[in-house]
Amino acid sequence: MADVAIIAKPVTEGTRHALVLTEDRLGHYPEFRAFFVRTFDLDRVGLSEPGFVRAPSGMAYALVFVGRSGEPFPSGLEIYAIVDALEPLDDDVVDQDLWVILGWMIGGVGAPWTVEDLHATGRLYRIPAAG
Amino acid sequence: MIASALENIEGFRDKWPFATRYARVNGWQMHYVDEGAGDPILLLHGNPTWGFLYRDVIPPLVNAGYRVIVPDMIGFGLSEKPAREQAHSLDGHIANLTSLVRQLDLQCLTVVCHDWGGPTGLGFAMSNSARVRALTVMSTWAWPTPPAEFHTRLFPWRMMHAPLVGPYLLGRHNVLARRGVYLSVVGRDKFRREAQAAYEAVLPDAETRLLTWVWPRWIPLDDTARAKVRFAWLEAELAKSRLPTLIIWGREDEVFDAATFAERFKRLMPHADGPHIVTGRHFLQEDSGAEIARLIVSFLHRQGGV
Repeated sequence: MADVAIIAKPVTEGTRHALVLTEDRLGHYPEFRAFFVRTFDLDRVGLSEPGFVRAPSGMAYALVFVGRSGEPFPSGLEIYAIVDALEPLDDDVVDQDLWVILGWMIGGVGAPWTVEDLHATGRLYRIPAAG
Repeated sequence: MIASALENIEGFRDKWPFATRYARVNGWQMHYVDEGAGDPILLLHGNPTWGFLYRDVIPPLVNAGYRVIVPDMIGFGLSEKPAREQAHSLDGHIANLTSLVRQLDLQCLTVVCHDWGGPTGLGFAMSNSARVRALTVMSTWAWPTPPAEFHTRLFPWRMMHAPLVGPYLLGRHNVLARRGVYLSVVGRDKFRREAQAAYEAVLPDAETRLLTWVWPRWIPLDDTARAKVRFAWLEAELAKSRLPTLIIWGREDEVFDAATFAERFKRLMPHADGPHIVTGRHFLQEDSGAEIARLIVSFLHRQGGV
């Protein structure tokens, strides 16, 4: 959990946003939506800016929250890696970073969701990042 | 791309020699096979499989004098795969199936249901009963309460398809087709050797795997469930139905265990034949395809058919 840091908007000149994970239904379990609302002050910030985090690799990620009419905000979330504009993604690094970001999220959502259950699920399905 | 990936799997055409057909259903392109002649039998798969699941069931049914139709659910197999989760709903999938059956003008139809092929196929049958002659249910459910204690657990079920975790595990890593099916068959070495690649090939990237985490989110766990009303209707309609029904279940099925689920279908439809227990976990067709075909043929003979 400590390996993910919330950061201010990074310098984006010379970078591009590369879409790496999409969630269309963030409120499937409402406590997940509540975590992001709480963590990024979304009741105040709304759609005005993404949230930004830095992952263990050192790479920054933009969390773009998506709204849908008739549904609590945010209804969805897109995660973008902020990478050098003309350089390809290192997929293994992104995958490892996403796994840590998921652990950070689960830890923040809290009981009954646990990082231990996430890791056990990752091991059951032999996810490389789960070890 | 998917078709060529399948052709590159050693021995694929020996196992799946059936002609490829497509129909436009409810706005989507649906792949299906249509083999043989006679009274029709509709074989319905669930998550994350496709018609290939029935490869050992199709030939004996055709040889017994039936026309066998095996559609790939929209979102799976060789059918079109919507890019947005909002494109999927239980009612929409029932409508997809209804469209195919009406286009083919199938009458005197036997509907064989497995996994999500249950709620969709039984939903179709209960709303089009004049076209239906008989039902077969295998490792599925049709009521608005959680299907199994397994589906209420955080580890691994709810965690697997939780927000963002689902798109990561099932999207980026395809864990249901890559690992989940393997864990849910009895003959795992044979499965890995003969079938695993054909399930993975039709879900080549994260975008094509959307339905693998969307369907789990449609399983009713509480009163807020999106499909609660439809499942309640389905249960009530099945309780009233007098359609001849065959229950087949896997002996080793730990998720939809026979003692709970096959018996609940039997209580819901006391006139049903069975449950007949065969070797198999959830994906029992992988272990007992020929035996399942034999049970269906025998059951239909007893109903006075071919």
